[in-house]
Amino acid sequence: MLVEMVIDGMDVPEDGATQDAVAELLVRVAGGDQAAFAALYDALSARAFGLILRVLVNRAQSEEVLQEVFLEIWQSASRFAPNRGQGRAWVMTIAHRRAVDRVRASQSSADRDVRAGFKDLGVAHDSVAEQVELGIEGEKVVDALSGLPEVQREALVLAYYGGYSQNEIAALVGAPLGTVKTRMRDGLTRLRTAMGVTA
Amino acid sequence: MNEKDFAELAAGAALHSLSADDERRYRETLAAHPEWQPLVEVDAAAAGLLAETAETVDPPAHIRSALLAQIAVTPQNPEREPDDAVPSAEAETRADAHPDESAAAAPKPRPRRWVRAAFALAACLAVLVGVGIGAVTLNAQLNRPASVVALQEIESAGDAEQATVALDDGGTATAHWSASVGKAVLVADGIPTPAEGETYELWFVRGDAPVSAGVFDVDGGHATALLAGDMQAGDAIAVTVEQAGGSPTGQPTTDPVIVIPTA
Repeated sequence: MLVEMVIDGMDVPEDGATQDAVAELLVRVAGGDQAAFAALYDALSARAFGLILRVLVNRAQSEEVLQEVFLEIWQSASRFAPNRGQGRAWVMTIAHRRAVDRVRASQSSADRDVRAGFKDLGVAHDSVAEQVELGIEGEKVVDALSGLPEVQREALVLAYYGGYSQNEIAALVGAPLGTVKTRMRDGLTRLRTAMGVTA
Repeated sequence: MNEKDFAELAAGAALHSLSADDERRYRETLAAHPEWQPLVEVDAAAAGLLAETAETVDPPAHIRSALLAQIAVTPQNPEREPDDAVPSAEAETRADAHPDESAAAAPKPRPRRWVRAAFALAACLAVLVGVGIGAVTLNAQLNRPASVVALQEIESAGDAEQATVALDDGGTATAHWSASVGKAVLVADGIPTPAEGETYELWFVRGDAPVSAGVFDVDGGHATALLAGDMQAGDAIAVTVEQAGGSPTGQPTTDPVIVIPTA
């Protein structure tokens, strides 16, 4: 019996034989299918918006970036290669990149200390898991992150949620740039292993 | 750069945490080492998973409506268009549409005929369009650093485009360009070596007269060439066989062997 999981509004068969539903939508979008684009937006915009807000905090800017992200998806959907990764990750990567670009362009380093990224450092597993909308994958990632050595988690969190560059992280945590690079590399490798991401 | 150094850069790249310089080094290195693409993909997948820890927040409804209205009038990057014959025909019609103006100005019959022949050739060639990919994957035999740098500049621009044509003997030629970068690079695979005393010359086909964009060498059937000069919107890219050193007249002396429209 297949138990259907619902991830962000998309039905996913739990046996792991997921057709990549987002990938299918992206391929259709690349062909100019506007209905597929609307379906993609409906499936992923809330998660993308949440991510952008986490990085940017500023609501108005986040709304602008969300629109830019999905416009970019419309324009460049043909760049997504289904054999090279999951559609969802491709979409979230665009959202993350644009959020980081915007936060660097519009906020000075001094302002950014108070952004969510820095506050996230002290977040314990339980309080993050309290967020109702954390799906099964999200819980796994939080678990994996909490299993990392603190300095590696710090590097990943500052980079991903804070949008800090490696140079900025080095300055923030008082470590040499080379050390930060190593921590980021090792942290991401551990995260990959914990999440079962393989080549 | 060895693989371990690249892997270190790749982690920063996946998290969008590299400095501008490191980002450039990363892209150049990846362009030169397509075999390292799998490393990039696993890191991108892991970083993508971090997005799952962000809570979901419903965006305001007006964004959805605005987007749907926007996409109805926004062109997509045409990397999967199956048939480029229509743009060529349109270009030919445009070239023919103003015969009076051209006659009134100093007549240049040879370039105009050449342009017409060029677009007719483009319409006849089977146009294969390259599939867009997330990061640049290039023929491993690229050996022209300036071209590689230009190619990665183009590919990392938001408006990067490409189009491929089939060559007579089964080879392919792909033009890569970006309006915002203002550059174009031609990558040819399986292109015949020109005869002794001859060379291939590149042209931007712009309006009535082609503009020379330099000459290039072929190495074992492969060539990567950055077109010299700034690319302008609507330029087509053409290649002719000229005497060694390029056409002495500054205009093509033969009919083009490759024509790639970009609009």
